[in-house]
Amino acid sequence: MDWQSLRLSLWLAVATGVVLLPTGVLVGRWLARSTHPLKPIAEATLALPLILPPTVLGYYLLVALGGQSPVGQLYAGLVGHPLAFSFAGLLVASVIFNIPFAWIPTQRAFEAIPADLYDAARSCGLSRWRTLWRIELPLAWRGILSGLIMTVAHTLGEFGVVLMVGGSIPGETKTVAISIYDRVQAFDLQAAGSMSAILLAASLATLLATVWLTRTRPSVRRP
Amino acid sequence: MLNVRLAQRSPIPLDVELQCGPGELLALVGPSGSGKTSVLRAIAGLMPIAEGRVAIHDEVWFDRTLGIDVAAEKRPVGIVFQHYALFPHLSALANVSLALPHGATPDTALRLLSGMQLDGLAARRPHELSGGQRQRVALARALARSPKLLLLDEAFSAVDQPTRQALYDELVKLRERVGIPIVMVTHDLREARLLADRLCILEGGATLQDGPPEYVLSRPRNAHVAALVGLRDIHSGVFHKSSDAESPARLRWGDGEGIDLTTVDKGRIDDGTPVRWVIAGEYVHLHLEPPDGVNVVACVIERAHRLGDITTLACRSIAPPHALVHVEVTTRQAREGGMAAQRAVFLRLDPEGIHIMPTRARGA
Repeated sequence: MDWQSLRLSLWLAVATGVVLLPTGVLVGRWLARSTHPLKPIAEATLALPLILPPTVLGYYLLVALGGQSPVGQLYAGLVGHPLAFSFAGLLVASVIFNIPFAWIPTQRAFEAIPADLYDAARSCGLSRWRTLWRIELPLAWRGILSGLIMTVAHTLGEFGVVLMVGGSIPGETKTVAISIYDRVQAFDLQAAGSMSAILLAASLATLLATVWLTRTRPSVRRP
Repeated sequence: MLNVRLAQRSPIPLDVELQCGPGELLALVGPSGSGKTSVLRAIAGLMPIAEGRVAIHDEVWFDRTLGIDVAAEKRPVGIVFQHYALFPHLSALANVSLALPHGATPDTALRLLSGMQLDGLAARRPHELSGGQRQRVALARALARSPKLLLLDEAFSAVDQPTRQALYDELVKLRERVGIPIVMVTHDLREARLLADRLCILEGGATLQDGPPEYVLSRPRNAHVAALVGLRDIHSGVFHKSSDAESPARLRWGDGEGIDLTTVDKGRIDDGTPVRWVIAGEYVHLHLEPPDGVNVVACVIERAHRLGDITTLACRSIAPPHALVHVEVTTRQAREGGMAAQRAVFLRLDPEGIHIMPTRARGA
């Protein structure tokens, strides 16, 4: 069992969730209510990681974050080491490939709030901030949480993008999925089996939690 | 006094002008898609408007010319939405408390609920309340901000008939208590007639006619308004001015051969003009024997349709134009008078009640 890789994966999953949770609330809420003509394009772009082959996404991220790119050069200038093949680079990649998993359920949760509740909130004198805290978040929390759980589980299991952007540097970019691959290559099937079982259990738990969260939504249901 | 003028071409065309005084109830009536709810939303600031002005007393909420547009959350307006729009995750008390102004104590919310006969239900969430109770919570919430204006959007449409009747009584009591302008959207003319001081008939976002209910319903501006307000008997005829000062004006009922009716000349219609005309039910008198007086029309009952305590008689004139006139009588009167199909009756049409309209709407 490669505990270091498992710890790194968990840390990456938590950090990805921390970035995508508040941004998901802001963007998901905006997308849910927006009637902007460019909204379909924004939605399609944000959903791209769902269907794009991980190696293709990984390639573009590598190009975008690598030492020759403006982002990579800026980062190297500020921090002193390249963004690609670092934990920070892996986090950026992880945030990008998890956007649809975190933001789409959040957007759907905000969309499920009946429009007249927004009108009612305004006619009750609630500011936008109070409407978010007192009305929207209590009604949308199941969708937001479901997105967060999906993000964590997906981060734990992602392989292609991680390998392309991070490589396999122990303690820096070698996640549990990469470690499983390494162990199989080294014919250490017992270690690969243990780690696979952990990912299997995490995936199953994620799906069960998502089903539970989305099956009954009494708080949003109109009485 | 609420003064509203709204004008825009898109996305929802509106051309509306209305007033509503303190303690007065104005009903906006019209078919689906006539812009009733849009007018309400525009008054509340929930919908942007291209041109116009919304002011209450000396407080201006919206004036495009002056660049004033007070945000919806800052307008002291109470709204009861069609499906109440109660916050489903909050108790009745929390729903009302949320709308209280800063500094108000929770006792205020309890008092408002109590005023709506909701004692003991404060902790219940909307899905644990009946339709009528939910409506009362919505009304309590609408009053929580001490609004200067109350807006009701089809507020009684989602409850059953007995509950609706009880809620009508509540509204009548509320009007006496709060004394603020109330604007109500409804498609139910009976409801509007029952509750409103004034009706405003809307279609395609434009005001077609406004005035007291009895006036609008007995004196529609034109045949189109008459149809919109649900008048069944819209007749055609030709108007003839009086030939001298002594003789009254005449209305030839029918397009060709017809019955001559005595009517009142208001000086607005030229001699020989083809017209449409209606007569409100209270001006149609039913007799079993020929009565004295003018405008007596011999008819035969074609159908008698009983609906509870009221029976509607479809009476067809024996002479041309063989037109139908629907008369409502109590079911008891119908039974005692033997008013059934094929029975001959006489209708006396009061000249004061004959309302003559141009054949085309002005400007059409």
